[in-house]
Amino acid sequence: MSDVHERLRRLLLLVPYASRRPGISVRELADALGLTEEELLQDLDLLTMVGRPPFQPDDYIDIYVENGRVHVDLDQRFSAPPRLTGSEAAALRAAADLVRPTASDALRSAIAKLEKVLPAEAREQYREMGKKVDASMEGPAELAPLAEAISVRREVTFEYFSHGRGATEARRVRPLELFSHRGQWYLFAHCLSRNDERLFRLDRVRKLTLTERTFEPLPTSRGKVPEPVSDRGQIRVRFAPALAPYMRERFGDEARPAADGSVEVSVLGDSERWLTQWILSFGGEAEVIEPAWARDAIARAAASIASLG
Amino acid sequence: MERTERLLDLVALLLDAREPITWAELRESFPEDYGAPSDEAAERKFERDKAEILELGIPVAYVQGDDERKDGYVVDREKYYLPEVGLTPEELALLYAAGSAALAAEAFPGRRDLAHAMRKIGFYAGTELPSPRVRMELDAVARQEEIAPRLEVLRAASGARKWVEISYYSPRSGKTTERRVDPYGLAMRRGVWSLVGYCHLRQDIRTFHVHRIRGLKVNPAKPRSSDFEVPPGFRLEDYVASYPWQYRIEAPVEVTLTLRGDLAPLANRVFPESKAEPSAVESTVRVVATYLDGLLRYALSLGADCWVSAPADAVARWKAMAARVRSAHAAHSRGRRGNVQ
Repeated sequence: MSDVHERLRRLLLLVPYASRRPGISVRELADALGLTEEELLQDLDLLTMVGRPPFQPDDYIDIYVENGRVHVDLDQRFSAPPRLTGSEAAALRAAADLVRPTASDALRSAIAKLEKVLPAEAREQYREMGKKVDASMEGPAELAPLAEAISVRREVTFEYFSHGRGATEARRVRPLELFSHRGQWYLFAHCLSRNDERLFRLDRVRKLTLTERTFEPLPTSRGKVPEPVSDRGQIRVRFAPALAPYMRERFGDEARPAADGSVEVSVLGDSERWLTQWILSFGGEAEVIEPAWARDAIARAAASIASLG
Repeated sequence: MERTERLLDLVALLLDAREPITWAELRESFPEDYGAPSDEAAERKFERDKAEILELGIPVAYVQGDDERKDGYVVDREKYYLPEVGLTPEELALLYAAGSAALAAEAFPGRRDLAHAMRKIGFYAGTELPSPRVRMELDAVARQEEIAPRLEVLRAASGARKWVEISYYSPRSGKTTERRVDPYGLAMRRGVWSLVGYCHLRQDIRTFHVHRIRGLKVNPAKPRSSDFEVPPGFRLEDYVASYPWQYRIEAPVEVTLTLRGDLAPLANRVFPESKAEPSAVESTVRVVATYLDGLLRYALSLGADCWVSAPADAVARWKAMAARVRSAHAAHSRGRRGNVQ
């Protein structure tokens, strides 16, 4: 895709976007268009030269910046952007698959509405491109309702199994952010039951309910999400020669080759549970070198499996 | 006049016109660009401009005149303007959540199209756009910055149905082979992108990991005409494995597993696409595996609450794996050697 194409479609959106939001700040407009302020000002410079023949003074787009705010006096009929192209709609559709939980009506209806406003010419391209990209993300069923609750700022309730306490407790939280880390999904939320910001693992959440109560994010919110990785230092892991090429793909230059063909990798210390699962998933081709607590934990887990049956 | 400027002027002219704009009028309006002495060169230039405008989704068309009106170019305003889509706040929020998650990943095919589509659907939403906070780790392999541009090239090639030539690295053999592939599509499973297409070397449909593509060239000939057809009934999902036991390496074998404790009620979540009889205490799951070791390693990672109960050779392999992990980590096996740099 050419840069001309990219710039053109941006400019065709910029004029109506600013026109609909009189006095939008340069900063805000740049953010909305994914530009730096500098780039936006260059775009605005170009637009002052755009008009239609015969190019009388009133035939030009009149867009200008005053006191850091953008104003449009003449939009020359650029009052709304062009419709979605087939390729744009298909990209949106492919991304939507990422959050497709087992069944989300809102997501389905959103896609259906978009398809309805596609021009006939774009529809075929959309259908074609739709078959070309398939990004499926397996995530728990709680993902979509939580993403929705975060966006529309609704409090949620759920039952949470706390490993520390070994018990299930009812929680009411203000959901702030969702993220996946090492295959595990987490919710970062302000917990009203504890009156503090906490991380929750989605696989321990049961009976999730969106309440009718909305909230405004607190100004005291730390705004920084803690890493789920605990600070237990580096774990050194050695992988058998057969796995070496795969580990180089996974870790790049962080995979250090050894003389016998094996590779060594250092990962940030994480929970014992995660580490044990991860090492076991290599079926004996991975070995923790240090620290000792990690070696012990894995030996215990393997012994309890070997004694089964 | 700069091309971007000319194209915008052209769109402005057509959007405002009450009647078709004739070729003569276009030449008069843009004398520097379409007024060249050679009619043919001027027309070629205009045709290129028109193609670019069409690609932006602008419905420019040539209409044959009649008694009422003259021949010329028109843009149907009704078809041009994005209408209000009427998304509810929830629907908009979900689309934003999905889109921003994909954009947060360094590599996602169609990034620019996606970013632009999101701006369009947010056009009527006012300044108060939802800022969904969903982050996904979609990078199961290193060097995402090398994968990103390849995904864009492959998406474009599969859209235009142009063949590609790839240098493909196999970690198993350590060798790189050159192949011509008709790209049917791209699929992502567990953070890994795959290209599925017809491989001219193997003369069959094959799946390639995008991160193992070392070199990539698209057929440069006739970019606007397609090279191949995708067979009817082809589905990407039939060619990509979602779970490690689905890699097509061996003949299918049905394995029985037992889950207890925390895992028992979660049988369907732990082994999706399997026959499970979940119960609160002990669940039995039957999984068809085409890569037994993939299944056994996964079972192992679930710990002592999951055990393999049939067939006998699968049970033996699974136990042997556990024994190997145990002996590798036994206190005496390596001693403190690991501390020595």
